[in-house]
Amino acid sequence: MRTVGLDITRTGWVTTFQDLGRRDTERRGVPTGGAADQHSAAMANILVGNPRDATLIENLGGEPAFVPDADVLVAVTGGPCRVTVGGAPADSWSPVVVPAGTEIRVRADMDLGARNYIAVSGVLAAKTLLGSAAPDPRMGFTQTLETRVLLESGFRGFGHSHFAPPLFRLPVPVLRCPQGPWVIDVVESYGARSIPGVRELIARSPYTVTTRSNHVGLRLDGPVLHPDTETEIVSHGVPIGALQIPHADELIVLGRYRSLTAGYPIVGVASRASLPLLGQAGPGRELRFRWVDRETSVRRYAERERALRVLERATAEAFGALGFAGHLISH
Amino acid sequence: MTAEQFTAVTVEPFGDSAVMVTVPHPDPVIRRTAVVAFRERFLAQRPPGVLDVVSGLESLLVEFDPLETALPHVEYAVRLLAERLPLHERLQARTALRFDIPVVFDEETGPDLLSVAEEVGLAPAEVVEAIAESTFTISLLGAAMAPMMDGLSVPRPVRRRAEPRTDVAPGAIMIAGTNAIIQPFPGPTGWRVVGRTPHTIVDISRAEPVSFGTGDIVRFVPVTRDEAAALDAGFLLPVSEVSA
Repeated sequence: MRTVGLDITRTGWVTTFQDLGRRDTERRGVPTGGAADQHSAAMANILVGNPRDATLIENLGGEPAFVPDADVLVAVTGGPCRVTVGGAPADSWSPVVVPAGTEIRVRADMDLGARNYIAVSGVLAAKTLLGSAAPDPRMGFTQTLETRVLLESGFRGFGHSHFAPPLFRLPVPVLRCPQGPWVIDVVESYGARSIPGVRELIARSPYTVTTRSNHVGLRLDGPVLHPDTETEIVSHGVPIGALQIPHADELIVLGRYRSLTAGYPIVGVASRASLPLLGQAGPGRELRFRWVDRETSVRRYAERERALRVLERATAEAFGALGFAGHLISH
Repeated sequence: MTAEQFTAVTVEPFGDSAVMVTVPHPDPVIRRTAVVAFRERFLAQRPPGVLDVVSGLESLLVEFDPLETALPHVEYAVRLLAERLPLHERLQARTALRFDIPVVFDEETGPDLLSVAEEVGLAPAEVVEAIAESTFTISLLGAAMAPMMDGLSVPRPVRRRAEPRTDVAPGAIMIAGTNAIIQPFPGPTGWRVVGRTPHTIVDISRAEPVSFGTGDIVRFVPVTRDEAAALDAGFLLPVSEVSA
């Protein structure tokens, strides 16, 4: 292992340290937080031989860039983006060697996906709060990057020319961020039963992400219905992805930094397999909701998890063949 | 209290990987007490695949990994653990701690003191006295680890503000209903602000950002502004363990 410095030459609009979030802190008033698009964050780490929950960089908008002072192995995932290394185009969703003294840049295409994840093989030196590097703005834990970031790295290079054919052909489950409306699977919950017709309304109507959205929730413009009764709902915990109808005419999809509901009806909860896409939805994005049953929802999540495990194994084998063990984990 | 027991809880599936547990009972006090007892018991016997729990006032959201366990397993574990749930079970995972928290109660630190006094039919000084004589128990950690406590003894429950305040200072002591809470970070609140402690309640530079937990006992000790300044108050620490 050696210490490598990354000179952050530019940051994007919001560039922070990030990981998959806190564990077991919800009951102490701290939301799990973590990468809005957990799939892409886990993938970026896997592609550089890190554990899935290693600290990485999350970026929203702009064109972040850095220059390492030793060769490093980097992977960029998330929304569609343009990656360049020393000015030459490089692949996203793939391990990329960034030679010492060379700049890697990531230019996001905000129209298609809001966030990019940049993982570097090794351990990034970042502060933690309750065991996680994930920011928590509410607690003043911002995790913005300094001009120089340190990395403990065991990567020594693959001895592969930049101009040779790509080293890797990995079975990468890329997150699809298509043009046009994104379809989000939703499992019905009690609120749908208390508001007659809301299920049908949500299934047939388009919803648009507004600029009032943040890490607490996506606020959507679109038709909603309210319960007839004035029955008070006592505030309670809600899962990530809960579809909440507040008193105003809008629909809110709660994100990883949600707190208890203020007593609004929850009509459904987005399927686990749909959460990564929700994490990529930026202002202006049109969403359509599709009701699915619980079994279908879990099956889709299991399929995605299987793809991640296949990639973990393939990456371990490819890196092993190149004489680089990384921090690879066994599954 | 009675030795009444529950044989049933309500388990409502929530999305593809969570259930919400509630205790059906006409009395809200019993619903709340029972769900706290259930939470302690559930955490002490945590079934495999359970990721985290989120406490509501009268509910417990149980989040699980649907690939490590499955809805029927979680539901079964919940029902099994809820069987013969006593109302006032004391299942302390940790020894309760005792806190004496110095608080400045004046017009500047407690802008809602006067309106609270009018509402409950006391003089402002009597409201301060009532708070100082109340023994609070921390019932849960609210947003950003704010200690939410029960036990305010006033002639009638205190209403929330009609218009929430947008920027309340850290350390603010706030009341609503028969509850009190301390604001850990600057932010909005609908609670009534009655005083402020010079102590740091939550310190994120610490591995363990708070020194308190659920079940701990809190008393508020009125101090003057000068006394507060002389305290050189830092991170809030307990005065002692509560003897059983």
